[in-house]
Amino acid sequence: MTGTLRPILLVEDNPNDLELTLAALARCQLANPIHIVRDGAEALDYLYARGDHLHRQAGDPAVVLLDLKLPKIDGLEVLERVKNDAQLKPIPVVMLTSSREEADLVRSYQLGVNAFVVKPVDFNTFLKAIQDLGMFWAVINEPPPRIG
Amino acid sequence: MNDAALDAALEACSREPIHLPGSIQPHGALLVLSIDGRTLLQASDNVPAITGRDAGPALLDALVDPLQDWLAAPDAPLHRQVSIDGRRLQLTAHAGPQGALVELEPVTEADARTLDALYPRVQRFMDAVEPEGDIVAVSQAAARELRVLTGFPRVLVYRFDEDWHGTVIAEDGDGSLPSYLDLRFPASDIPAQARELYRRNRVRIIPDANYEPVPVRPALSPVDGRPLDLSAVSLRSVSPVHLEYMRNMGTPSSMSVSIVIDGRLWGLMSCHGTQPRRLSPPVLSACDFLGQILALQIGARERGADARRRLKAKDAEAELLARMARASTLQAGLAENPEAWLSLVDAGGAAVVIDDNVLTAGRTPDSDVLRSLVSWLHEQARGEGVWSTDTLPSRFAPAAGCGDSACGVLAASISALHPNYVLWFRPELVHTVRWGGEPDKAADAAGRLRPRRSFAQWTQLVRGRSARWHASDLAAAESLRNGIIHFVLRRAEERAALSEQLHATNRELEAFSYSISHDLRAPFRHIVGFAQLLREQDENLSAQSVRYIDTIIEAALSAGQLVDDLLNFSQLGRSTLDIRPVDMNKLMAEVRQSVRIDEGQRRVEWRVGELPPAMGDGALLRQTLANLIDNALKYTRHREQAVIEVDGESRAHETVYTVRDNGVGFDMTYADKLFGVFQRLHRVEDFEGSGIGLALSRRIVDRHGGWIAAEGAVDRGATFRFGLPRRQPESANPQDLST
Repeated sequence: MTGTLRPILLVEDNPNDLELTLAALARCQLANPIHIVRDGAEALDYLYARGDHLHRQAGDPAVVLLDLKLPKIDGLEVLERVKNDAQLKPIPVVMLTSSREEADLVRSYQLGVNAFVVKPVDFNTFLKAIQDLGMFWAVINEPPPRIG
Repeated sequence: MNDAALDAALEACSREPIHLPGSIQPHGALLVLSIDGRTLLQASDNVPAITGRDAGPALLDALVDPLQDWLAAPDAPLHRQVSIDGRRLQLTAHAGPQGALVELEPVTEADARTLDALYPRVQRFMDAVEPEGDIVAVSQAAARELRVLTGFPRVLVYRFDEDWHGTVIAEDGDGSLPSYLDLRFPASDIPAQARELYRRNRVRIIPDANYEPVPVRPALSPVDGRPLDLSAVSLRSVSPVHLEYMRNMGTPSSMSVSIVIDGRLWGLMSCHGTQPRRLSPPVLSACDFLGQILALQIGARERGADARRRLKAKDAEAELLARMARASTLQAGLAENPEAWLSLVDAGGAAVVIDDNVLTAGRTPDSDVLRSLVSWLHEQARGEGVWSTDTLPSRFAPAAGCGDSACGVLAASISALHPNYVLWFRPELVHTVRWGGEPDKAADAAGRLRPRRSFAQWTQLVRGRSARWHASDLAAAESLRNGIIHFVLRRAEERAALSEQLHATNRELEAFSYSISHDLRAPFRHIVGFAQLLREQDENLSAQSVRYIDTIIEAALSAGQLVDDLLNFSQLGRSTLDIRPVDMNKLMAEVRQSVRIDEGQRRVEWRVGELPPAMGDGALLRQTLANLIDNALKYTRHREQAVIEVDGESRAHETVYTVRDNGVGFDMTYADKLFGVFQRLHRVEDFEGSGIGLALSRRIVDRHGGWIAAEGAVDRGATFRFGLPRRQPESANPQDLST
């Protein structure tokens, strides 16, 4: 494959989760560069190429791996801003979360999330999920729950 | 005279202007004077015979003195004795538009002496009246006294009801005339204009039914040219029909003494004689006095009884409200003391209908009639407080056959929105009549009239009617209704407060489980993740180190699983059910598919029967079934040949599913622990699991309004059954009263 691959934007505040996710991504042997931001505000700055990210390389990320609970602006709000912006809307967003809360799931799908991954306790299962995501982020996603 | 002719005569009698007979009875004389007393306007033919003077100026002169003062202000009747030419006469005078009506009756020396004897007699009667005695007892005593006073062989005390039907409530007699005690008479027996005369003239005597009426002349009043109004005159001549009636009955003499309470004709003391009987004016005065004493006694007792009734109703009400306040539901409170409930309004039956639930006491129509009655009432008078009738069958067709329990209904609405009522019932009056005498014997020899006919006639009139509801009954029902509504409002407020608290608690719980979900899972994940990385990273680890790491991973995994199970369990209480028909055969097939991997190389014989469809939340029922199947597989693990049977059965109100295995079973002693959270009956080393599966299953079944149960014996397999209602219980809308 030639030319520059679009980066994966990883939004994660917890250092342990960050390290595990990076380890998993490394094993997927993806060629994409991985860009890390640590909170929701920074994620939006990156996406809008503003603030600290004013001079970043142009172009949208291939996928956003977004943690749900984040400092400053939380994952759901980031998702909402992205999906309500005509420019950013096409960027696939995968919600990565500890939460098994149905309400979070419902809300994410309502906001137009592309996949929702509840981080499994078993690292091997997590690894598998990240690998599948790497190829295409839609395999392990949980189906939209019933609304109502 | 045959019956038809008598009917006609009686009918004519009820229209007859009985106050205008134009004549008087012969035992006294009547004079009509101009109101200034100077002119004699009319006189009865027997004036000379009674007074010894012609009806002219000489007689007028004799009366100037006795009448002078009264004529100046003739507001009340005048009663006094006069003496004309040595004749002693009882004078009674009334003033009216046609002049002053003056009655004169001879008084003998003997009569005058009896007066002295009368006072102690009446005094004795008053002393003899028991203050505690009821109305019947005091009437009985008065009847006895009147019989002794007058010598009539039979004295009746006759009471009018609200519709002017009459009942003989007391009687005293020497046996020469038949007993009329307890007989009923229709209102038409004593028509309205006759009752009005009874009210105005308290004492009325007919000494001899065979008398010759004495005309009053001229026939028309010189004042207004009309017939003379004799309403106020006790000598007034009697209707010929009535006289014939008396002669036919073999009672040529009669007397009545009116019982007038607060201006209303309450009843009569009615005397009959087999012989003509004249009573002297002093005796008649004593009879009147006796009647007035009786009226006072009855009035006092009625007021006392009314006060007691109200007091009793208040007591009953307080008792019922106190019980309702303590009881879990309104109905339960009423049912705890059916006597108070019934006695509140003196009813024979009572019911409370709330949201179609019926609870009754005493004699009432059946539940279906009650349900249709309250919905009818609700349509008739939406939310109106208290409603009553004493003729239910004629107003509400479905109650037509309920005369023996519900001719009268008193209904108190206890909800503005729903057909919820407290009801009281009274049976048909005919069913409640105390029947002492025998109407056949009471009829006279010719079989004509009277008690029997009257009773039959009265029965016709009261057929389909209950005893009337009194104002005090309605007031008592209204008062209880207010109490209930107050009670209901208080319950509603309490419930609202409780529900607010519950909501707050629920919100806290949700926040709690949300944070567990996020924050408790993460560390376990990190432990497992880094341990797995460590294990892969370092190829030189000793076998023991690898085993240590594996144990760390296993422990963290099972802790993570525990958290997930717990969250699952708590979420189940909060999520709403999506109830719809579920194909259980399909569900079972899916469950079997998913356990195929666990089954592995084992030999399992499946015996799956035809499962009837369920009403429920498909995803949750699937979880329940999967838990039971998982268990069956798990506990048959050591069997050479595992046998798992799954079956279903449709019953009247529920469908029941059974999962049976031939596994290790369990000790029934611990059966109640099976479904508890984290309860285990086996060691973890033998059978893995967090011990939450069955708790979860029970929670799911509970939320469907169903049940789950287990049977088993150690090493003899286990059988699990769960039942689901075929119709889902109606959603838990707040019920307006019952809770």
